[in-house]
Amino acid sequence: MARLIRTEKEVEGRYEEVWIVVEEDALEQWPDGPLRVVGRPATRADGPVRARGEATYTADLRLNGMLHTAVLRSPHAHARVARIDLAPALALPGVHAAIGPGDVDVLVAECGFEGAPVAAVCADTLAQARAAVAAIDVEFTELEPLLDPDEAVARGALLGEPRIRTRGDVERGLAEADVVCSGEFRTSPVLHNSMETHQTVVQWVGDSVDVYISTQFIWGVRESVAEKLGLPQDKVRVVCEYMGGGFGAKNSPDDQTFIAAELAKRTGRPVKCALTRREEHLAAGHRNPTIQRLTVGAKQDGTLTALVGEYVNAVGWGGWSSPVEGPMHLLYTCPNVRSTTHAAKLNSPPMKAFRAPGFVEGTFGLEALLDELASKLGIDPLELRRRNHTEQDPSDDRQFSGKNLLECYRRAEPHWERRHEVRARSTDVVKRGVGMASQIWYGGGGPPSYAWVRVGSDGRATVVTAMQDIGTGTKTAMAQIAAEELGVPLEHVTVTVGDSSRGPYASISAGSSTTPSMGPAVRAAAADARRQIEEIAEQRGDPGMPLAEVVALLEDGQILGKGARGPNPAGMQVLTFGVQVAEVAVDVETGEIWVDRVAAVHDVGRVINPLGAASQIEGGIIQGVGHTLSEERLQDPHTGRILTTSFESYRLPTIADVPEIVSELVDVPDRHLTNLGSKGLGEPPIVPTAAAIANAIRDATGADVRRLPIGREEMLRALREAEQRQHESGRREAPARV
Amino acid sequence: MPELDVNGHRYAVDAPVGTTLAEALRDELTLTGTKIACGEGQCGACTVLVDGTPVLSCITLVHSVEGATVTTIEGLRDHAMVDAFVRADALQCGFCTPGQIVSAVALVERNPSPSSEEIRHAMAGNLCRCGAYPKIEEAIRSWRD
Amino acid sequence: MKLRRASSVAEAASASNSLLLAGGTEVVPLLRAGILEADELVDVRAAVPRGIDGPTIGAGTTLAELEASDQVPDALREACRLAASPQLRNTGTLAGNLLQSTRCWYWRLKWPCRLHGGDECFARDGEHREHAVFANDFCGSAHPSDVAAALLALDATLATSRRTLPLGELYRVPTADDRRTTTLEPGELLLSVELPAVERSVYLKAMERKRWAFPLVGVAASRGKESTRVALAGVAPVPWLLDERGLEAATPLPGTAYKVEIATALVRRARAQLDA
Repeated sequence: MARLIRTEKEVEGRYEEVWIVVEEDALEQWPDGPLRVVGRPATRADGPVRARGEATYTADLRLNGMLHTAVLRSPHAHARVARIDLAPALALPGVHAAIGPGDVDVLVAECGFEGAPVAAVCADTLAQARAAVAAIDVEFTELEPLLDPDEAVARGALLGEPRIRTRGDVERGLAEADVVCSGEFRTSPVLHNSMETHQTVVQWVGDSVDVYISTQFIWGVRESVAEKLGLPQDKVRVVCEYMGGGFGAKNSPDDQTFIAAELAKRTGRPVKCALTRREEHLAAGHRNPTIQRLTVGAKQDGTLTALVGEYVNAVGWGGWSSPVEGPMHLLYTCPNVRSTTHAAKLNSPPMKAFRAPGFVEGTFGLEALLDELASKLGIDPLELRRRNHTEQDPSDDRQFSGKNLLECYRRAEPHWERRHEVRARSTDVVKRGVGMASQIWYGGGGPPSYAWVRVGSDGRATVVTAMQDIGTGTKTAMAQIAAEELGVPLEHVTVTVGDSSRGPYASISAGSSTTPSMGPAVRAAAADARRQIEEIAEQRGDPGMPLAEVVALLEDGQILGKGARGPNPAGMQVLTFGVQVAEVAVDVETGEIWVDRVAAVHDVGRVINPLGAASQIEGGIIQGVGHTLSEERLQDPHTGRILTTSFESYRLPTIADVPEIVSELVDVPDRHLTNLGSKGLGEPPIVPTAAAIANAIRDATGADVRRLPIGREEMLRALREAEQRQHESGRREAPARV
Repeated sequence: MPELDVNGHRYAVDAPVGTTLAEALRDELTLTGTKIACGEGQCGACTVLVDGTPVLSCITLVHSVEGATVTTIEGLRDHAMVDAFVRADALQCGFCTPGQIVSAVALVERNPSPSSEEIRHAMAGNLCRCGAYPKIEEAIRSWRD
Repeated sequence: MKLRRASSVAEAASASNSLLLAGGTEVVPLLRAGILEADELVDVRAAVPRGIDGPTIGAGTTLAELEASDQVPDALREACRLAASPQLRNTGTLAGNLLQSTRCWYWRLKWPCRLHGGDECFARDGEHREHAVFANDFCGSAHPSDVAAALLALDATLATSRRTLPLGELYRVPTADDRRTTTLEPGELLLSVELPAVERSVYLKAMERKRWAFPLVGVAASRGKESTRVALAGVAPVPWLLDERGLEAATPLPGTAYKVEIATALVRRARAQLDA
């Protein structure tokens, strides 16, 4: 039965109160453990199509008469367009239209960052469009850029009010502490850099518009485009069958969509607007830098008495203030916690959500500080975390819908035990060590999300839903769920996604929410179809009649099931948990770091596809290794212009940088969460990687690395600092050898 | 007008000097399995075989490979490596995958049983942002299974 | 733009107002980025020797061929193995590698710096963590060629279409009067490299990834009959031959002091490996 409820909706740690219609979720959860199809490894349904180069990505789309766009972007971090004349561009061969500031609101004359879009030209070929953009007569007035986050805070250049979160009394907590540790941690801007850059093709068809886009949220694009173009939503069709990665940067339609839409409208032709890799480095979002000034107080036995955080999110010209303080408030039972988070508005490109935004950065600071504390107290870092474990959300005492973090710790023990053997392999030059860090993050998904299931007389089923598979393998997981519920072989299920005109509303693929949002809807739809098939069997006087025999009677008839995602458990906190243990080697003369091995144990409820899950974990850890060791967007310190605009200077990990990765999932359904008990896995694996590596480095060398990335320069600096400290104290301040 | 042999077919490419092989393949021949992800020769998504050797088609001028034999992912669709990638789950978003497979095929053609170290050395020019690397290594190790 | 194939040195060398192209891994991206411009491209592959013949290496030999050869000294082979990416090594030639431009981000982004004829080195006062520790008072850029450092340590001699010269003389530190970083004249082609016999050689490289990155510091060392030579990549606007003053003479920028530390360790190790 449909029900209208007021509920809290969470995406990537951002909450909003919304009214939504939900269907009662009447299905019992399946029994624990691997089932016939669910919980068993399945290869990717669209693997062959993607691997063979047959999949049509937005980048591959070639519509008849399609025009190509080039964008004029601000070459300055802060500037005003003093004068602009598009006529020289329009005079060039092949050019169909040119638009400038005000022609569409994403083109601006006030430029707050290098790369801000100012004008755009579409032409028959991309080369012609680029030549035309170069011909635009434009003059900028340069303005003083604001680049320093602390200065922005001091000057009140903020995006929104500071966020203050408090529980207990931290002054009292610090007074009660036997040991207090403080540190300043910094993280750098890192870029999503999905291999397919941001791109959109827009085509007007009569009074409707077709939007082909590389996106993580078909329905969000539909809503935004309809609103901006003043169209009813059903006049906007959004298509994204295959997309080449997003990681949070493609949650919105973005500038290129509105530029293409305006140019398509003016020319009456399909228009493509695709960012180049260099534009992607400027204007496609990033994980914003943070400054974290942290203090922890604890009793001699390790009991935390206070946690204090002064955070600055260096957000950039736009975006939002990610929950960098989240882990401090959620991870441990500490009674006294206070955080202040400032969102600095700077003349750097706008941030966007990037795979567990805020928590990746905040976990690095918090978990590195905890290890510094463990070292001071002489307590085993894993034991310190166990002693401060919490059974309910410590910020509001809500029950967790399911939490198996202690089980994760237990399963991590064999990996943690390796530290004695690993350290023993150290030489005078190459020091080895092991570090760990805990993971906490969201990932429960939520309503609304819908799916249909169609069963034909041949016994084959099709799941229809207008979601997107951004490369996480969700399509495969949905096929497994439907096959399990229907009792048919996996290869008899097809999943159709990627087109808002060919299926019902589906969740955003962000916040680790696709599987926990879509999965229960798909199961409900399959159950609805199965119920109808069983009813027919009963009418035929044979309740036990196999599905294949029942549907064989249908001829051209079809069984149509529909399903919806039910509500999240009322009054409960739905989170994911885990722990990672990293092993590193550090050359103390050259600062070279090898991450040799990362063991990951996570609790995300029921696992649908262990093969795809392992891939998600590996991918998250590898991105984590990248932003821990080699990735950093650099800005010229005087002008604010971006210096790393290519893969040569912005260094993603290569296959040679990858550690051995051992992963394990607790795989126990969350009893309170939906008919599946599954949570998302896209983000959790990236959360603790940086902290685990930093802690391993400190274990190996005694050096406190408090800044990401840990390049050679930072590693050598930290080693010198540790040496100095040791020299001053006259003894080696070794990490806790417990 | 340069003539090329692409996947066993002869083509005459009508494009100005300066056009890259990747642009010619994708725009003139509509062989869009070859991807362009950086356009500067730094990521490997555009890798194709020219006379059997992996090259970066996004910085190879089509006029400079006149007369060459070019093999793209479309010419390797039936290679056992494709199935090995699918079996091992060696792809996520799949955008870099055609280039990965082209590089991997070239590797095993000259060294059918590469070691882990050899795989990592030979595949280091193919970036994968999703991080499918461990499974790419596994696919190449087990490609003949 | 036109493309012409030169089948002889004479044809290639006679070309004027044009750009010579072999593997194209450096020239094509710079053309597309608008840093290089030309009316005519001359494909010189047929005009430049390729292959390894005892101590003589054709300038058109690819890095991949050198990497796979058991005829070349260890330092050169290792420098090739750790250079660039596999695909770039497959196409990129020895000559192209020696003549590549700096990876300085300001230069690559076409800031009007001294190397581009301007009057400021933006790196010196700006972001220069990957820049020079020697000869950096006019231009802070670092020479990125692993191969050049190896050949410099190996005391290679170059043959061009007009002369023979020690490898070190191919390069010049840019000055206010002359911003060029090589001594090559327009139309002059690198043809081959001659290597004297050495007893032992080694190349060690520090980079920010395990593969496919330019050297923060590359150290090549070789021991010949008479002397040991040590040359560095990534530490000066040109490949840098270490003299008797060694790294003591370094003049690092505030952000490149760590490179001296790395270089000190790698030079020590390289010498130790020669003696081992």
